[in-house]
Amino acid sequence: MGNKQTIFTDEQLDAYQDCTFFTRKEILRLHGRYHELAPHIVPMDYTNEPDCKVPLALIVNMPELKENPFRNRIVESFSEDGLGNLSFNEFVDMFSVLSEMAPRELKAIYAFKIYDFNVDNYLCKEDLEKTLNRLTKEDLTPEEVDLVCDKAIEEADLDGDNKLSFADFENMISRAPDFLR
Amino acid sequence: MTSYSNSGFFNHAYHDSETLEIDRRKTHHTNPYATENPDWWGDRADTHHSSGGHISSDDVTERVPRGGWRERESIPMGLMSTGPESPSWQHDPNRSTFQNNFDSQDQSSSTQLPSLISEEQSLVKELVALSTRERIQAILDLPISFGEKKHIRSQVLAFKSSTKSRQITCFSDCSESVSLLFPQTFRRCSYGLKSARQTLQLWQGVMKEISGRFGTSVLSYFIFLKWLLVFNIFSFLINFGFITIPLLVYDVSPNIPANVSFRGLEILTGVGYLNYTIMYYGGYSNETIVGQVRYNMQLAYFFTIAAYMVLCGFVLVLSMAILFKKNYVLADIASESAWQLLCSWDFSITNERAVRQRKNNLRVQLRESLSEKTQKKLLTLSEKLKHIAVYLGSWFLSTSLALGCGGSIYYLCLYEHQQTTDTQNWTLLQEAKTLLVPFVVSLMNLVFPLLYSLFNRFEHYSSHRRQIYALVVRNVFLKMSILGVLCYYWMNVVADKFSCWESMVGQAVYRLVIFDFLFLMLGSFFGEFLSNVIGTRLLPRIGVPEFDVARNVLELIYAQTLAWIGIYFSPLLPAIQILKLFILFYLKKVSLTQNCQPPRQTGRAAQMQTIFIALLFFPFFVGALSMVAYISWSLTPSEYCGPFRGLNNSFSVVVVWTHHLEDVPGSQWVIWIYQHVVSSEIFYFIITLIILIIIYILWQVTQGRKELIVLLRQLLVNPTSSGSQSNSSAMAQALLARQQFEDKEVRQVIYGVPVPADISPSSALIQALKARQRAEDLDENLYQKPNNNPSSSNTFTQATHERDKKDEHYTPSVCSENLTNRSSALVQAMHARQRAEEDRGDDTDDLPSSMSGVMMQVMQVRQRAEEEDRIQWAPAPSLNQAPSGSSALIQAMLARQQAQNEFDDGY
Repeated sequence: MGNKQTIFTDEQLDAYQDCTFFTRKEILRLHGRYHELAPHIVPMDYTNEPDCKVPLALIVNMPELKENPFRNRIVESFSEDGLGNLSFNEFVDMFSVLSEMAPRELKAIYAFKIYDFNVDNYLCKEDLEKTLNRLTKEDLTPEEVDLVCDKAIEEADLDGDNKLSFADFENMISRAPDFLR
Repeated sequence: MTSYSNSGFFNHAYHDSETLEIDRRKTHHTNPYATENPDWWGDRADTHHSSGGHISSDDVTERVPRGGWRERESIPMGLMSTGPESPSWQHDPNRSTFQNNFDSQDQSSSTQLPSLISEEQSLVKELVALSTRERIQAILDLPISFGEKKHIRSQVLAFKSSTKSRQITCFSDCSESVSLLFPQTFRRCSYGLKSARQTLQLWQGVMKEISGRFGTSVLSYFIFLKWLLVFNIFSFLINFGFITIPLLVYDVSPNIPANVSFRGLEILTGVGYLNYTIMYYGGYSNETIVGQVRYNMQLAYFFTIAAYMVLCGFVLVLSMAILFKKNYVLADIASESAWQLLCSWDFSITNERAVRQRKNNLRVQLRESLSEKTQKKLLTLSEKLKHIAVYLGSWFLSTSLALGCGGSIYYLCLYEHQQTTDTQNWTLLQEAKTLLVPFVVSLMNLVFPLLYSLFNRFEHYSSHRRQIYALVVRNVFLKMSILGVLCYYWMNVVADKFSCWESMVGQAVYRLVIFDFLFLMLGSFFGEFLSNVIGTRLLPRIGVPEFDVARNVLELIYAQTLAWIGIYFSPLLPAIQILKLFILFYLKKVSLTQNCQPPRQTGRAAQMQTIFIALLFFPFFVGALSMVAYISWSLTPSEYCGPFRGLNNSFSVVVVWTHHLEDVPGSQWVIWIYQHVVSSEIFYFIITLIILIIIYILWQVTQGRKELIVLLRQLLVNPTSSGSQSNSSAMAQALLARQQFEDKEVRQVIYGVPVPADISPSSALIQALKARQRAEDLDENLYQKPNNNPSSSNTFTQATHERDKKDEHYTPSVCSENLTNRSSALVQAMHARQRAEEDRGDDTDDLPSSMSGVMMQVMQVRQRAEEEDRIQWAPAPSLNQAPSGSSALIQAMLARQQAQNEFDDGY
């Protein structure tokens, strides 16, 4: 580190490098970004792994997420408490999965979590309606939303339970090679 | 590594192994086999099996137990050396018996622990068995949070360090031991390499920016451009390294006649001064360079070009196959709205305007797809005829345009041919005249695609994809006719007239490459900048232009084809191509960000990319390859210049060389290869036959798999109420996935796989049949053991439990709670049936209404029967319920039979 302040020990950095898709430099940069979000909460020194969390409202304002229609869901599905408060580890985890280095299978798991608004491990009609409203600025009529969601479930549902399990979802995205590239 | 050994205290696996040591030693001293419990063996075999399934490598599964054995051996080593009887087994070469024993004990103890911990332990064990690199990858791929990953990682490291510190002598895995001896430096080094590779990656930031603003479909153009650039750098290195450098080392200064000087126009025309440099075929000598080694220029030229072409073909076929496998075989066009809803969002987009636009587009598309059915009905016969007439007209027009282009270029070339003379000194005017042909060719390439796009607007295609494919096919046809005519002219006319015709062709190709570049720049100016100005200032109705990925990619393909055609005549053409692509990247990027808007249609970019690579390969590369092959086998090289002067054709270099080799001892194999492989018809005949047979067999296999996929899909669509069925459906799903995976390898595009929704009417029948089957199975189960009633119920529940367990094993996500699942599956089946019947009702409106009444009845009866079944399945069933249950079932079956009969009559 030289004359700079120590943020992480070498062991910590090794752990980050082994468990995420980032290099040492990127981890430090991520910490910088994380610190910027809430300088009063996040300490510079992370060697003793302080227990602090940045609230959702601050994270979704990052330029990377700001325009994403699913920003709140993304942050929520990576937070341990489900409310969107992220510790630094969860923060790193989120960007690691979102990075292009992450394999598709891993991304698919989290994409499913993101679409699963009510956290029941199924994409039911309610979830799809919410997804659709986010994707179209909520200006389809309720009947149209209803029709589209019904059709989507009918097409993708393989086991006939009127909701999409992860297997259905996986099967569907395996035929959509553009998705999550 | 020392920092991690502390955490060994918290490592369950570590503690277990310590405590186990004592137990094992006790048991061992008496009799290693006495304490064996057969259950443990079974248990061990199971877990062993499952771990093998996870890692899916025989090598690793072998190493898991061995590692465990060594690790446990290490402590007693010290103690045993004082004991009297130990050495006999310590040095036993056949370790497997002991190892099994120890493993079984270990497993028994771990099963006593909570299942969660043992699961984690087995995971840790698997990870320990992997090499460092594989382990890191495996940890990375775990779908758990960072905290948990870190925990597992520290456990693995602790496990390893505890093992390794005590037996440093084991060098079974060299890289592993190196990485453990110097863990810090090794890892730092590898991560340094990783980050260096990231910074070296060309244009990564720019690519991110583009995908953020315009999405992946536009990005695919830039990825393709970058791929071509890398490809050209590689070909430049080959050509430069094997042809040019030896010549330069031998003779640095080109032998230019005194009266020729550099005038500046050469950069455009490629004639004059450049004609005498190593740029063209004519600049290379036919001598054998004698320095420290003998370097035969003729052979070098021939083999370098041949190797380059073969490598190009290889790379293209490989990347095409990979892309097809990934993007085409599994892609399914059927689930359109599910795709639009769940998979169409491009998560890479971060630009506010792009997001807004994409949302609008998606809305429009969804509305369109909703109203598509009504639109189709409205289409009258006259409208259809009109559409067909427009198709035919535009196809006819575009085809005749392409042919006309070819013809006019041929006559233009002949005209130019008459004008030019075979002299050394050209005046500036003469030089400038050579620019006519490339100018016209490039103009045609610029204007006609725009015309085609215009035609395209008048046609009504049902899908965006078809529209793009039509456009692409027309453009390809145009470019092929132009290039075909040019090649014909070069090979038949130019080759006869000029004394050094290869250089003349090289110049012509050079001019085409340069003009193509200039027109690409002009094209992006006119096509994008001007229409942007018009769209924003003059006619806002037209709007800001979109970036036309298809047209731009075709331009790239055309440019690359020119480079391939020219490679024989001008070996340094890839250098020009590199420069061109490099500038083009920035040009297109600026033009894109300044002038264009994100594409309105969210097409499937990955598939388009596959098509483009296929196009690049099939008509273009194969065409260029066959041209080069024809030249080197059939045409006589020019007599006074180039490496092949004085030979009948370029290939005779090899013939001459093999003749020379006959004198050289130890090179008999080359001659043998030449005689029996290269110049033998029998060999090619046999090879062709074998390949044809293999293709036929693979084709048959693919057909069989296609059928199997259809069947499995039907199984998936028809879930029924019982657990066994859900089990089989899970199996079917697994099988289907595997089948699809295997099918990918055969690389056959699967068309016509039935859509789940389409076959629902017939599925209802299959479902009914299955339900009956199940009922019969149940009956059999009940009647098989009439004499021992209590035990039968016991075995029954046991069977159920086992089945449940199995279900959980196969589909942990689908049936996590089996009891509720079963009832829900029932409801689900009902729903599915209901739906199927509704469909059927839609199809046949004129069916008697009594039909649905009968169906309802059937449903009710069946429901009753199944409710009774469920009572049977409850923990304490009484046998007298069985007859009633079965009678209800029989009733249901009869009713269903009746319903089916009526249904058949209805049709």
